[in-house]
Amino acid sequence: MKFEVHLQSVALGAKTRVVELEREGSNYRVMIDGLPVNADAVQVAANTISVLLEGQAFEVHVTPSHDGTIKLQSGPHEFTAELLDPRAWQGRRHGAAEAEGRQQIVAPMPGKVICLLVNVGDDVEAGQGLVVVEAMKMQNEIRSPKTGKVERLQVKEGQNVNAGEVLCVVS
Amino acid sequence: MFRKILIANRGEIAVRILRACREMGIRTVGVFSEVDRNALHVRLADEAYAIGPAASRESYLRIDKLIDVAKKAGCDALHPGYGFLAENPALPRACGDAGITFIGPAAEAMEVMGSKTAGKQLARRSDVPTVPGTDDPIENPEEAQSLARTMGYPVLLKAIAGGGGKGMRVVPNDAAFAAAWRDAASEAQNAFGDPRVFLEKYLIGPRHIEIQVFADAHGRVVSLGERECSVQRRHQKVIEEAPSPVVTPDLRRKMGEAAVRLARAGGYANAGTVEFLVDADLNFYFLEVNTRLQVEHPVTEQVTGLDLVKLQIAIAAGHRLPFAWESITPRGHAMEVRLYAEDPDNNFLPSPGHILSRHAPTGPGIRLDEGVYEGYTVPMEYDPLLSKLIAWGNSREETIARLRRALDEYTITGIRTNVSLFRRILAEPEFLKGEIHTKWLDELLTRPRPPAVAPREGTEEAAVIAAVLWHIEQAGKTSNEQPGAQAPSRWKLQGRREQLDRTP
Repeated sequence: MKFEVHLQSVALGAKTRVVELEREGSNYRVMIDGLPVNADAVQVAANTISVLLEGQAFEVHVTPSHDGTIKLQSGPHEFTAELLDPRAWQGRRHGAAEAEGRQQIVAPMPGKVICLLVNVGDDVEAGQGLVVVEAMKMQNEIRSPKTGKVERLQVKEGQNVNAGEVLCVVS
Repeated sequence: MFRKILIANRGEIAVRILRACREMGIRTVGVFSEVDRNALHVRLADEAYAIGPAASRESYLRIDKLIDVAKKAGCDALHPGYGFLAENPALPRACGDAGITFIGPAAEAMEVMGSKTAGKQLARRSDVPTVPGTDDPIENPEEAQSLARTMGYPVLLKAIAGGGGKGMRVVPNDAAFAAAWRDAASEAQNAFGDPRVFLEKYLIGPRHIEIQVFADAHGRVVSLGERECSVQRRHQKVIEEAPSPVVTPDLRRKMGEAAVRLARAGGYANAGTVEFLVDADLNFYFLEVNTRLQVEHPVTEQVTGLDLVKLQIAIAAGHRLPFAWESITPRGHAMEVRLYAEDPDNNFLPSPGHILSRHAPTGPGIRLDEGVYEGYTVPMEYDPLLSKLIAWGNSREETIARLRRALDEYTITGIRTNVSLFRRILAEPEFLKGEIHTKWLDELLTRPRPPAVAPREGTEEAAVIAAVLWHIEQAGKTSNEQPGAQAPSRWKLQGRREQLDRTP
């Protein structure tokens, strides 16, 4: 199976690699960017993959995220990856379409809405606090990603929210 | 000795206490709120009972429910752990009324020593140096502000009932006073139900060094040496170690004697910790007493070879402290890091949730005190402390190397943890030299991060291969799990075959 992998990390920046894995007996034959690679990859435990690459040992831990990307950890190094099936390459370009214009502000973790710091129609600056969400005895201010106007507030004080739930909309 | 102990707590400390009980042959009774049915302490306890909804106020903080469970289960003692009701004198009183032994100090000793202002007065009376400040809570903000002006800024506002950095504010100048007062009082009201605060001169760059004391019911009080807890984020301890890199045998003796004097004056019994601030000239000032077992007690255990929880239980049962412990000196070095479910790369946002996988470090010089397991969902309602990773060795250097090695082995997926924060701290030259103070970490975190170390060659390729492999195996798993696609059970087939064989 062939995938385009969009990889993002602090140390390496953004990269795209094409990875092809074909089953060969109990193992996989690996190609990266069209070139064969001497790799032996095994899932040794849940979400834990051991990779021997030309004999060099790596262990990679995989965590799926809410937004469909996956987080990869190898020792102190972390990558965020998005997998695209080449059959779906067209039309599913990820990117900064939502980075400007209307922004949905979502709860980064499950918690309880302690207070609303803005009203619908308020002008807000980028970085200004919008909603205070409490989780694990800590109060966390959720800030506006952009300068704009509060278009909608989706939550009430005292309400419990899940991770990824929309708190408000800034346009 | 006790037959059955109620553990009035949850998480890693409940597990820690029940392990000590089990080793002593004492039965354990756990309690749990609605969201804690799957918690490790419930799985490991001999008996466990539900005590109400998720909110601590309606479960873990309900003295009536705890006493009720203790009576029904036939407990003869109760251990409060730390946090929750551990420093609330109403709990030992209720235990006394119910004929249950409270494993900790008497209510009176808690009142005299646990309250920050009363503790300070006691320290002055017992000739233990204190930081300049007010002894009593100040009701009137204007009066407090004028006191702050005479004392000179910066000053510190602290909740009377406080702890763990809640209800505490540093006031850098007069203009910031009113807002800081408001914040401290409302936070104290929310966290402890008591809005009263007091005022203290703020020392610049002090270390936090505390002395572990133990007192039996027969008048013997001993010091088990110090713990250095200067690495703190917003007044919350993050790394603790024993011994302190700056404490000399002479200073250890002086601080130990001061702590013992204080415990004696307060009529203290059981485990307690006397916290001090230590300035650059190694002058020490009394800060407060914690009238309970501390989160960081394992570092003392590793350098003294004692089990503090067992000691607590033995003292509560009326046993005497042996003489020899008065001359205790630390052996080797121990260090603890507090692993929290929080994201250091994203403003330390809490990260509760489902633990998909977990690999715990082991090997020489490593101890892990934890309350989580693979498949467990960390609830959002409580403190984010997951585990305490403790390393020890012959020297501070060896201990740090072991801790680094163990942190590399420790992996947990599904939730975020602050492991990367410790990787960073344990590589800081100042930390390695032991040049730390209570504001050191907060200052470090405002500095630009050191440039990310380039991963070794092949890491990126290994990562993308792993991503694709995981994706394929994941997809394979879900298609196999479809109902109807399952192969018929071999047991059933064999059973049917045997049935057929039997018919002639």
